[in-house]
Amino acid sequence: MRIDNTHKKWFAASLIIFGVATAVYVPYAAHSPSGPRGGSAVGLTFGIIGSAFMVFAGLLAARKKVPVWRLGRAQSWMRGHLWLGLLSLPIIFFHAGFKFGGPLTSVLMVLVIIVVASGVFGAALQHYLPRVMTAQAPGETIFEQIDHVREQLAAEADHLVQSATGAAEPAREEGRRGLSLAVQSEVAVDEKLAPLRNFYELEVRPFLESGGKGQLLLSDSDRARTAFEGLKTLLPTGAHETAKRLEAICEEERQLHRESRIHYWLHGWLMMHIPLSFALLLLGCVHAITALRY
Amino acid sequence: MPGSERTTKKLAQRIDLTYFKRPHPFRTWRFWLSVAAPAIAILWIAWYGVAGSNRVYSGGKMSRAHAVLAAKCDACHLRQASSFSAKASDQACLSCHDGPIHHTNQAFTPNCSSCHEEHQGRMRLAATADASCTQCHANLRTTGEPTRYVREIENFGSGHPEFAALRPGAVDPGTIKLNHAVHLKKNLKGPNGEPLQLDCDDCHRPPTSMQPLRFGSATGVPVSIAQKSDLPIAISERAYMAPVTYAKHCVACHGLQFDKRFTESAPHDTPQVIHTFLIQKFQLYIATHPAELREVGPDRTLPQKPLPVAVRVLTRDQWIAERVSESEELLWRKTCKQCHALSTPTDGGLPTVAKSNITARWMPHADFNHERHQMLKCTECHAGALTSHETADILLPGIATCEKCHHSGSDSAEARCFECHTYHDWTKQKEVKGKLMLSGIGE
Repeated sequence: MRIDNTHKKWFAASLIIFGVATAVYVPYAAHSPSGPRGGSAVGLTFGIIGSAFMVFAGLLAARKKVPVWRLGRAQSWMRGHLWLGLLSLPIIFFHAGFKFGGPLTSVLMVLVIIVVASGVFGAALQHYLPRVMTAQAPGETIFEQIDHVREQLAAEADHLVQSATGAAEPAREEGRRGLSLAVQSEVAVDEKLAPLRNFYELEVRPFLESGGKGQLLLSDSDRARTAFEGLKTLLPTGAHETAKRLEAICEEERQLHRESRIHYWLHGWLMMHIPLSFALLLLGCVHAITALRY
Repeated sequence: MPGSERTTKKLAQRIDLTYFKRPHPFRTWRFWLSVAAPAIAILWIAWYGVAGSNRVYSGGKMSRAHAVLAAKCDACHLRQASSFSAKASDQACLSCHDGPIHHTNQAFTPNCSSCHEEHQGRMRLAATADASCTQCHANLRTTGEPTRYVREIENFGSGHPEFAALRPGAVDPGTIKLNHAVHLKKNLKGPNGEPLQLDCDDCHRPPTSMQPLRFGSATGVPVSIAQKSDLPIAISERAYMAPVTYAKHCVACHGLQFDKRFTESAPHDTPQVIHTFLIQKFQLYIATHPAELREVGPDRTLPQKPLPVAVRVLTRDQWIAERVSESEELLWRKTCKQCHALSTPTDGGLPTVAKSNITARWMPHADFNHERHQMLKCTECHAGALTSHETADILLPGIATCEKCHHSGSDSAEARCFECHTYHDWTKQKEVKGKLMLSGIGE
């Protein structure tokens, strides 16, 4: 989600809440006989507010499970998740008096710091990376479809080369790894198109099968452009269109690599943020119960 | 390029419409991590539960004094029958140590834990925050009689009054005439007539000091400040200077000569004792020197007019009475009076000596420890001693002197209330019968 002007109200509200909380905390901490404590009336209030913010932030996951329920706009929930989740960190610090305490509370403090920090990191990525993705991967597809699309690109390339050189239809096995081009040597191939076939077998096919791994000639746009320009000088004019389409397939493949990489950055932080959030909410409940008792 | 080759229809046809039925590994991993993280958290808590320990819920490390109870939560967290709550109560504190009341007319009695906060690490529980004190003393209200103490004290640097002994009108109640400036002069005459320079510790030492005095006598009885104190503060025997006594500190230089016939001094005691001592001394003397009963008067012969020499023959009692009278005249009018305030009755009886009234502690409501300040020169704080000529001069340093080191900020000595003051009136302390068992603690 982009942090744009639509966040103004949330930002202002968060700033006011933070300001009020600080204005309450400073004199409270200065005048409390034994310093700020989570168990004091003010400390407990901070704890309840901070927990409520965290619970609300956590409810975003539940909200996403029921998108058709009329519970407010998803964007509003996300904004609330962002700003109230961020606010929960200072409020919890105020609750704890900036102390970590014992084993359970220390773990909770570490968790809340990691969860909020990873959330801030994720929000920053979500703010910048979509624009980067649009610029670097204009042919963006559904992330889960990338492998499927790659297979289709490889098949399309095989078919293209076969059509141009008159080689046999490639025998495609199931799955991309099994893809092979069984060129039948007895079939007469125009010797002028041999550079195309060789280039395809030595550079294009390995690149399409690489899945973005390794530093191949066609992994880099500039080097790929140069290579295809060189190839065209070796081919008759009639085969230039085939080379051009192969180049386009390679470019699409590179975009899929970039999309895949950006996607992992865009959503990888959730691997830490979400599981630790669940642990935080669970241990927070345990803390609330035991704190009431002890 | 692809855009020019791909129509929307072609792109749409590439999509596998059943993809959502096969979860992507990325989502699968996220799901299982989301299950694993809370599960690990629960297992962690359960592990403590199985081990029968509640330490995981501890709010932090225990203080030094209570560290041994770290594994014995229920020593303090008493749980009432059928009650969910197990909060540490005053009752638990008082079962191990008494906490006497501060003042009988205090308007508010805080809970133990509101001042002595546990689970804050290895700190001293007595090292309470100023706010513990200023919650009352910043706006002091009392029950019954109006208080004579200052009502608005924020901290040592703000609102704390000058020490009572130094406020206008206060004088040293002591009656011993002592001139500090003279005693600290150079080239004083020593016990054997040699020139000397006295130092403060030639007279002022803590009661338990084992170092022999340079010019004093070791025969004096040490005076315990703690024994003399009726104050609610436990006192270290090295905290305060012992009151100066004649027998220990003065006798070497200030002998109590009473008659040229004797080299020994009169006892430093009451006039009655001295009177008896003098009679005994002269009785013994005349018994061995009977010739002195015949007194030859002074030769008043003039060159042209010779006069007979006056001769007096006294009885033994007459001689003793005259000698005792002469000695007492010397003592009461000069030797004793040099230091003591004597009042002589009109009927000619023995004088009475005013009580010395030496103040052992100038700050009865605050604790001070000279030993902790022994790195300082005495006159850095007691600068007045160098110029003081009068007994009434109070040589206690003022609050400004203390504040040179004890002020707020990280580069200062401790300046919180507890550094000098004690909340509990330990004179009212009750004995406590312990209930804990060795087997129940230190697990």
